[in-house]
Amino acid sequence: MLRIADKTFNSRLLLGSGKFASPQLMQQAVAASGCELVTLALKRLQLDKPQDDLLSPLRAMNVQLLPNTSGAKTAKEAVFAAELAREALQTPWLKLEIHPDARYLMPDPIETLLAAEQLVKLGFVVLPYCSADPVLCKRLEQVGCAAVMPLGAAIGSNQGLQTRAMLEIIIEQATVPVIIDAGIGAPSHAAAAMELGAAAVLVNTAIASSDNPVAMAHAFALAVEAGHSAFNAGLAHHSRQAIASSPFTDFVAAL
Amino acid sequence: MQIMLNDSIVQLTTHSTVAELLQLQQLATTGLAVAVNNNVIAKGHWSEYQLQHLDNVQLFHIVTGG
Repeated sequence: MLRIADKTFNSRLLLGSGKFASPQLMQQAVAASGCELVTLALKRLQLDKPQDDLLSPLRAMNVQLLPNTSGAKTAKEAVFAAELAREALQTPWLKLEIHPDARYLMPDPIETLLAAEQLVKLGFVVLPYCSADPVLCKRLEQVGCAAVMPLGAAIGSNQGLQTRAMLEIIIEQATVPVIIDAGIGAPSHAAAAMELGAAAVLVNTAIASSDNPVAMAHAFALAVEAGHSAFNAGLAHHSRQAIASSPFTDFVAAL
Repeated sequence: MQIMLNDSIVQLTTHSTVAELLQLQQLATTGLAVAVNNNVIAKGHWSEYQLQHLDNVQLFHIVTGG
């Protein structure tokens, strides 16, 4: 079971709700994925547009809603966004996300750490999206974050675990769940993340922009399960040279 | 009495609360958050919080995102 703060989850796949062609498709993908944690975002209301009811279908599926602070460029803006999100959804769970650079969307480590510390004191369950920096992840843990969410590659880039070497260190050193978030572009990437020993992965673009998001969501669910089972079973060691699987020399001797 | 509501000027009768404002605008409250003069107003206080002349009211709502 995946344990984060005071909750447990059966699924180790988290889904982002963005970029889907429709809210209905997003809900179907969530159902197909078996995920129990879904991120959402916050936006200023446009008074001249009708309000969509996104939340009732998700609530009916019993998923933990995880609002993010995307759009915030500083710790101050993130705290404001967090307080809005807490009122809007009536949950203290939060994905802390501060990325001022529009081209690469890299999370600002300093603002993130500052915001995390404040938000934990304000009673939030903070899941911070961050760079794959082992020291930063430790500092986030020390200020009381419920998990750390280091990136595999840039958001939406689908490039996989570019930060693999750092992720291994983070996973080795963490005493809170490590949820690899961003850049996971294929189920094989998700399986690789779980084989490293990650507690969970968060996927959005690779599913939402697939030709068949529902099938892709299910594929990811299988991959996460496979990777996690493999990690628990104990992965085989790498070897530079071959180690025979069959008694070849005995067979030759018999001739 | 006049307030700013998400960058639009809205005329109100005096002593409107946040809850009354939302009713007037016919807004569903699920997934909605309110800030007045950059302070987030807790949902539980919407029916008590009195708006003042020239208050800057901002409404936010939950949308999809990663």
